[in-house]
Amino acid sequence: MNALYLAFAYLRYHWARSLVMVLVVGLILFVPLATQILLSTSERTLTARADATPLILGAKGSQLDLTMAALYFSEERPEPLPMAEAEAVWDSGLGTPIPVHTAFSSGGFRIVGTTLDYFDFRDLTISDGRGLAVLGEAVIGANVARALERGVGDALVSAPENLFDLDGVYPLEMPIVGVLAPTNTADDDAVFVDIKTAWVIQGIGHGHEDVVTASEVAAGLDVTANAAIVEYQRITPDNIDSFHFHGAENEFPATAVIVVPYDTRSGTILRGRYLDPEGRTQLVEPAGVVGGLVDRIFRIKTLLDVVTAVIAVAALAAVGLAVFLSYRLRAGEIATAVKIGARRGMVLRLLASETVTLLLLSGLIALAGAALVARNAEAWVGWLLALGT
Amino acid sequence: MARLLAVLATMLFAAGAAAAPDRPRVVAVNYALAYIAERLLGDAAEVVYPVPDGTDPSFWRPSIADISAIQSADLILLNGAGFATWTAKVSLPRSKLVDTSRGLADRLIATETVTHSHGDGGEHSHEGTASYTWLDPEIALRQAQAVANALKARGLEDEGRVDDRLALLAADLAALDAAADEALGALSTTVFVATHPRYQYLARAYGLTILSLEWEAGAAPTGDELAELRQLVAERGAEVLIWEAEPPEGARAAIAELGLQDAVFPPLAVEPPAADFVAAFAAGIEAIAAAASRAESG
Repeated sequence: MNALYLAFAYLRYHWARSLVMVLVVGLILFVPLATQILLSTSERTLTARADATPLILGAKGSQLDLTMAALYFSEERPEPLPMAEAEAVWDSGLGTPIPVHTAFSSGGFRIVGTTLDYFDFRDLTISDGRGLAVLGEAVIGANVARALERGVGDALVSAPENLFDLDGVYPLEMPIVGVLAPTNTADDDAVFVDIKTAWVIQGIGHGHEDVVTASEVAAGLDVTANAAIVEYQRITPDNIDSFHFHGAENEFPATAVIVVPYDTRSGTILRGRYLDPEGRTQLVEPAGVVGGLVDRIFRIKTLLDVVTAVIAVAALAAVGLAVFLSYRLRAGEIATAVKIGARRGMVLRLLASETVTLLLLSGLIALAGAALVARNAEAWVGWLLALGT
Repeated sequence: MARLLAVLATMLFAAGAAAAPDRPRVVAVNYALAYIAERLLGDAAEVVYPVPDGTDPSFWRPSIADISAIQSADLILLNGAGFATWTAKVSLPRSKLVDTSRGLADRLIATETVTHSHGDGGEHSHEGTASYTWLDPEIALRQAQAVANALKARGLEDEGRVDDRLALLAADLAALDAAADEALGALSTTVFVATHPRYQYLARAYGLTILSLEWEAGAAPTGDELAELRQLVAERGAEVLIWEAEPPEGARAAIAELGLQDAVFPPLAVEPPAADFVAAFAAGIEAIAAAASRAESG
């Protein structure tokens, strides 16, 4: 008890030196802990979304691009596939297809056109406002609301696909009717619209001034309007009746179709149906694709672990040297203690108490830091992953 | 008053959606499908026709509360064939939607074509589709089969009971078809005029010639509308006018003055007064046949 009291008194007297030692050792312990927590959370976050998405149907091409576009709404542009493919899954009676259309963006965030089934599938809840109801409306993720400082009652405008796209892809102003509760997934960074709204942005559907009257229709006339007609850029209760789509819905595009098989057997049958190497579509298991990607990424983690270990050993050696040198500097002080009657064991206990107290304080700081990281890891990892999309 | 009734109907519909969580709810976009669903489900589920009384379901615009109530249903029965255009402009869960005329593309009737251009895009065309598919009993049966398959797939009723009820409904529709064939089959030379373009499938099924006007249901025709009808009588030899709803008394007299016989055949998109689908269809057939007979006998 006396040794602990004396050790603490010594450390307090030399508070600046003690503080530096505590912080240095604390950092040496904290960095590998925090790195481990963030990496394992990243791995879990990446694979959790893929694990929760049984199958993705898309056009033949890069499986990684397809998976990243369907899961994380990345900027990859896999070849679109026609909605007939989603209907074919319905007709098979083997699973629920959920199309996603991610070709457009607004305010730097991806516009995700989908069906209401997506919200049930991802278990997304509305924190403010309501869900999608009418063509042209948008529901935004939590990060979109925060970053753009928009909420229910505001509006977003879709960005043209590219600056020189003059052929039909006009910006559409979309009222925000709901904000999603945060999920720390890519859904937080998405602007959700009905897939039909995405088709309107694409120019497949549009509304414009009337070109034909009811009586002309009744008379069965073929009416041709040769003059250019004014198109509406916002869907309102007054003009919604004029909105219509051209062509058959089966031919309209989707970036990918998330397929949720009804059971394991259905999933196996479905996978078998898309094995034809000559086919225009592919059915991928996102868990496998993301798992492969994560494996590659985490091979770097092994290297990082080695580097961390080497640095930790070097840092500990430096700390050990600092402690040893401080003992050498205190040689006179120790000799005085021995001369006034302190036994060698007492001196050793005193020095050990100082060291243990330093290590304990450093450990507590490292653990507190690690707890803080662990508590916010999902949010920070979500933010870090979103930076790349 | 009509607005108040519409609001009350919406509130009742929404309240109904919230009040009965145990019983599945099936929403149908027109009376014909609601009738089919009720026949196939019995008491196993609540069948909801969400359109307020007095509103044409083809042109109904649901409120946000209506849409919310429809989204929460267990099954949403669409007619397809362009009926109820509101369904293309609202967000509905695809997993609950059943397009009952899907797979009947070869049986649908194309209507008007409109061609236009705008912006820098080229010209394009809109081709319409006749929507009142159920007025051909054979198509109505195909739609009933689609409803039955959806009910069974979603487990809303026991498969055996659905099959039994479908067999009974099929028998009723077959009897209706036979009766219509007998009553209308020999009227291919009679020219009918309908107050609305609703009867394309009925006409095709029984070889009838039915021209169409655009009169408001249940309202007396205006002078211009009567002039248009007079022109059809003169140019096309129209003999019988088909009303889609009971007309005002004065309207019948005006039609008689043009030398036309008339009959009421409710197109059954909304529930007919005091009769169900089969009875109203049968009564409509009899009324048309009787009017044609009167026209023939002079």
